[in-house]
Amino acid sequence: MFIAATIAVLITMALTLTRALMGPTLFDRLLAVNSFGTKTVMLIAVYGFMTGRPDFLDIALVYALINFLGTVAVLKFFEYDDPAAATYQEDDY
Amino acid sequence: MFDAIVWLVSWALILIGCVFVVSGAVGVIRMPDLYTRLHAASLTDTGGALFISAGLIIQSIFVFGSAMAAIKVVLILFFTLFTAPTASHALAKTALLSGLVPTDASGKPLLESSEEATQLARSRPADYRSGQDSETFAKESQFFNGELGAGRRNSGRLS
Amino acid sequence: METLVVAVLLTFLVVIAIGIIVLRDLLGAVILLGVYSLVAAGAFVVMDAVDVAFTEAAVGSGISTILFLGALSFTSHKQKPRGHDSVAALVFVVITGGVLIYGTLDMPYYGSAESPAQTHPELAVRFIEESGSEVGPPNIVTSVLGSYRGYDTLGETLVVFAAGIAVLSILGLKRRRPEDEVLEDAPGDTARGASDNQQAYKE
Repeated sequence: MFIAATIAVLITMALTLTRALMGPTLFDRLLAVNSFGTKTVMLIAVYGFMTGRPDFLDIALVYALINFLGTVAVLKFFEYDDPAAATYQEDDY
Repeated sequence: MFDAIVWLVSWALILIGCVFVVSGAVGVIRMPDLYTRLHAASLTDTGGALFISAGLIIQSIFVFGSAMAAIKVVLILFFTLFTAPTASHALAKTALLSGLVPTDASGKPLLESSEEATQLARSRPADYRSGQDSETFAKESQFFNGELGAGRRNSGRLS
Repeated sequence: METLVVAVLLTFLVVIAIGIIVLRDLLGAVILLGVYSLVAAGAFVVMDAVDVAFTEAAVGSGISTILFLGALSFTSHKQKPRGHDSVAALVFVVITGGVLIYGTLDMPYYGSAESPAQTHPELAVRFIEESGSEVGPPNIVTSVLGSYRGYDTLGETLVVFAAGIAVLSILGLKRRRPEDEVLEDAPGDTARGASDNQQAYKE
């Protein structure tokens, strides 16, 4: 059962990775990467149960937080670096 | 008997989670533009995590007999349920803010220009905060029903 | 099964690395670097190197991404198109990589019972049996890092600390944009902005 779940998650990771490499816009990459991070968390959790040692869950926990942190950091960068935001402020419509 | 039920239930939950996760990935590959991909990815992310974690919780309590593992899985689920929708929302908002125009099913852009998308992204939270959202919301739902339901009557303006 | 998972993760690593090289968009490359670290950390977890995995995830995926973003805010997203693809550099890299791979052939195989660390008469046995009473922490890796090779760890920490201070001083030199241009609130927040938005809808 866990083997099936592991394989499913691995297939999912491969597919999202394809989107991350293909993605026409940066947001597509970011979306795929965020989804990929969630899948990594799932993979580690399921793998820990598969090998009968659920001690790996600590790491999955840390990854869940780091993944969110990374995504929000990149988005924050977009918001402040964005040229549209700057012109918006100048025009003051 | 009890063991059989536990295995059956956790099997079913984990398999449902796997179906969610894989279908979400297929959606991420096949959907035409960012917003639809985001729709596919974010919903199935949360759903898949929910079902797989539920299966793992049942496994860790009844098969591994480890309450600590169950608590950790609950924490993972908790964080995922909070962070995944937040990240998706921030992603969509930032994409709109930087002028990525959503398209309809045939690939036509729903907004005139990328400036309009930026303006839309900027304007919404203010309307919600100042309590003037009802009128805007009515216009918006009218716009979306009219545009998406009956096709595009006029060439792209918002009214 | 473990072999399969490790093999798939390593394949992901290769694919991501090629993607990073091919991408001309630096921000995309930074995003992919974060994934690279995450996958590497996942591979470490599967190979039972949990402490390395923690470090890799926190440093590679967390701090590095933010530092790269800080560096990118000083410059633009696009990599300059290079005038030439240097063949000499490729040859050099291939030779270096080949030598490094040749060097790993002398290493013991992954999980081998005949590796020097396993067959040393005192090392592993001493750590496993005595570290609890000699040092204290129940985790043997922690005892080794903190006590048995404590000076080494101290040196590493110094290097990392110096690097951190250097990076902070470079990134903190000046902001690219003056402070007053940073949006503190959405301008649509005011009543005027809201009515303007409604006008925009009516148009």
